[in-house]
Amino acid sequence: MQMETQSPSKPRAGIRTYLLVFLGLAVITGVEIGLATVGLSRSLRVPIFIVLSLVKASLVAAFYMHLRSDARFFTAIFITPVVLILAVAVLFVIA
Amino acid sequence: MREATRSADEAGMFAAGVRLGLDHLKLGMWLFLASEVMFFGGLISAFMHFKVNNPSPESSLLDVVLVGLNTFVLLTSSLTVVLGLAAIQRGDRRGLIGYLTATILLGTAFLVGQGNEFATLYRHGITLSSSLFGSSFFTLTGFHGLHVLVGICWALSTLVKALRAGYSQGSYLGVEVFGLYWHFVDIVWIILFTLIYLI
Amino acid sequence: MSMSTEAVTPGRGWRRYFTWNTDHKVIGVQYLVTTFCFFLIGGLLAMLVRAELAQPGPDFLNGTEFNRFLTNHGSVMLFLWIIPVLAGFGNYLVPLMIGARDMAFPNMNALSFWLIPPAGLIMLASFFVGAAEAGWTAYAPLSIQTPVGQTLWAVSVIILGTSSLLGAVNFVTTVFTMRAEGMTFWRLPLFVWGMLATSLLVLLATPVLTAGLVLIAMDRMAGTLFFSASNGGDPILWQNMFWFYSHPAVYIMVLPAMGIVSEVYPVFSRKPIFGYKAIAMSSMAISILGLTVWAHHMFTSGMDPRLRIPYMISSMIIAVPTGIKIFSWLATIWDGKIRFTTPMLFALGFISMFLIGGITGIFLAAIPIDVHVHDTYFVVAHLHFVLFGGSVSAVYAGLYYWFPKITGRMYDERLGKVHFVANFVGTNLTYLPMFLAGLLGMPRRVSDYSPEFTTLNLLATLGAFLLGTSALPFIYNAVVSWVSGPKAAANPWRALTLEWQTDSPPPAENFHQPPVVNSGPYDYGQPMGVSGQAQAVPAVGD
Repeated sequence: MQMETQSPSKPRAGIRTYLLVFLGLAVITGVEIGLATVGLSRSLRVPIFIVLSLVKASLVAAFYMHLRSDARFFTAIFITPVVLILAVAVLFVIA
Repeated sequence: MREATRSADEAGMFAAGVRLGLDHLKLGMWLFLASEVMFFGGLISAFMHFKVNNPSPESSLLDVVLVGLNTFVLLTSSLTVVLGLAAIQRGDRRGLIGYLTATILLGTAFLVGQGNEFATLYRHGITLSSSLFGSSFFTLTGFHGLHVLVGICWALSTLVKALRAGYSQGSYLGVEVFGLYWHFVDIVWIILFTLIYLI
Repeated sequence: MSMSTEAVTPGRGWRRYFTWNTDHKVIGVQYLVTTFCFFLIGGLLAMLVRAELAQPGPDFLNGTEFNRFLTNHGSVMLFLWIIPVLAGFGNYLVPLMIGARDMAFPNMNALSFWLIPPAGLIMLASFFVGAAEAGWTAYAPLSIQTPVGQTLWAVSVIILGTSSLLGAVNFVTTVFTMRAEGMTFWRLPLFVWGMLATSLLVLLATPVLTAGLVLIAMDRMAGTLFFSASNGGDPILWQNMFWFYSHPAVYIMVLPAMGIVSEVYPVFSRKPIFGYKAIAMSSMAISILGLTVWAHHMFTSGMDPRLRIPYMISSMIIAVPTGIKIFSWLATIWDGKIRFTTPMLFALGFISMFLIGGITGIFLAAIPIDVHVHDTYFVVAHLHFVLFGGSVSAVYAGLYYWFPKITGRMYDERLGKVHFVANFVGTNLTYLPMFLAGLLGMPRRVSDYSPEFTTLNLLATLGAFLLGTSALPFIYNAVVSWVSGPKAAANPWRALTLEWQTDSPPPAENFHQPPVVNSGPYDYGQPMGVSGQAQAVPAVGD
């Protein structure tokens, strides 16, 4: 018998949620392509696109990879290197 | 990838994990993905180090719209993976087979799209050794492409097992673990697309 | 799914150590023996280097040959000996110590081991095509320009990194999901905490080195321009990527060793460990802080000067959890009923010599001092005191301590003591003069030096040969005792951790019945748990 994960943070998402998330991902991607072709200034472009990409990545991680409904430890395992490498990347760029 | 069958014996061995809500195969995969974050992060840090400190006019040759469409293809493949998982979780074997097939086709389409982008740049004389831009672009996207290729092979082997009725409503962990890998590769592309093409 | 056990393995006795075997105890022995062979090779390379350096002027090695022996001495010792031997201890002990039957992923465990011999052969084969000669640090642009052996070196290190990484995935998963009933995290033996802290670093740091090595390999083989300054590349990027791993690597090389001595002190002082939680948490603190200090290896590289002081401060802060551990160990043995067995002697040697290495590390963290002694023999002395005086002493302590458990036989105690004395004297004789040589200005990685350093170098060479010779009583002791030593009891040291509550050597499934834990690992007066094996409970006050 499949061992269901005990103590989930939240109940698992259903198909409707998956489709809604996909819609969100598609819309954001469309917005990104649109904004890219329009040609914004660098100081606008960089934060907007970075935030949009983090939103997309979080949607995939939280819903498609079930981080939202699985044991919190998995989230910690994923977030820790992300934070670390963000700091490293910033250091590599500015220094 | 072998399917974890749940004998009482094995359930006993991993009892501590069950109490914590941690399946050992999923835990192992998440730990591996953490290391992959650091690996791609290392390559990305190198890429950004050069992009910011040595910007190149060659980046204007990048085709945002076409590769943006390719991004859409890969995002769709993540949807098909998770719909496939949802299918087998309700015992729908044929649904799983269909969605896995769609994933393989979409993943292949993504690689074809990437190959097209590579060929376009190559025609403009940009290669691994022609310039620092070429070196960093092809290395970063090349390693991502390799990861997609590995994912396609894994999807194929998952499909073969699904065709042999290897998964069921009570036993689908292998599909889920494959899904974790595939979604991760998708997330990496989301970041790469932004850093290479958008900003 | 069936667990691979000895009964399923082809061959009996020694033959199974040459096969693909998924039993963590077999894999552990494979690691220990294989890495020890590489230790001897690395030691041989060291003695060739020291022979050349006994006198100024070229003796029997030209500059290139010297650089190759030196580079491979460092690379073999770090990547093929100290990192994997500690993983080998982890492999053998972690499942036993937590009361599990094996590791979480037994096949991946076997893979982790079997990646090592080919990687080692690749690195050593480089001698036939022009061995790597850019130091174990392989700085660009030199490492891009050297002959093809350097590429083999890079490939070898990538493979070894992969082995290490897979091991870390296995260790963490095993500890989180396979602890016996009653084995809470606060009852884990400190060696297991050491392996957890180490695994965190392996997972987070190794892949960045892999990425850097990929860039080096691509510069060498595919003509990429990452480290080609004239084309916009940046050699300092390599230094950053390299040290981002290689500084945590030194904690990977010492945290399990600290775990080993944490096991040894309470047993041979007949006292509970002092500050169990402090030691456990300090291990995690060292691990986390260790990820933030790498640029202290780059103070003289021309790095951004605004960053130097932050790195100096973070490097010095690591001394705090380290000091907590050292004081806790001292408090453990204080007023204890000490038995000076060979493992205890090596563990005591560890404290004294690691202390010298650690404190000189703090000197090096201070930028004004580092600017003066960077790339001199002061650094060579520092690193050998922590790695050889420290980690290797702990490895020997562990090999002697768990020898009866692993082999089922007892080693010869007198030979062990001879080994200890020769090792202790040899280590100090070899490396203490190097501190002085470095302060007086002798650079490292040179095959020739100014004549005023002759006496110091001669002393170091004598010490090195003593060290080389000191391995002989150990090898003899280990081999002869394993084959025909007196049979060992299940718990000859009267220790409390779970590996001692089962047979020596343990049965295939580790415990005749899964243990149930009801006390801590160092609570003298009561064993941790009861396996199916009947064990006389030590009398209170024993």
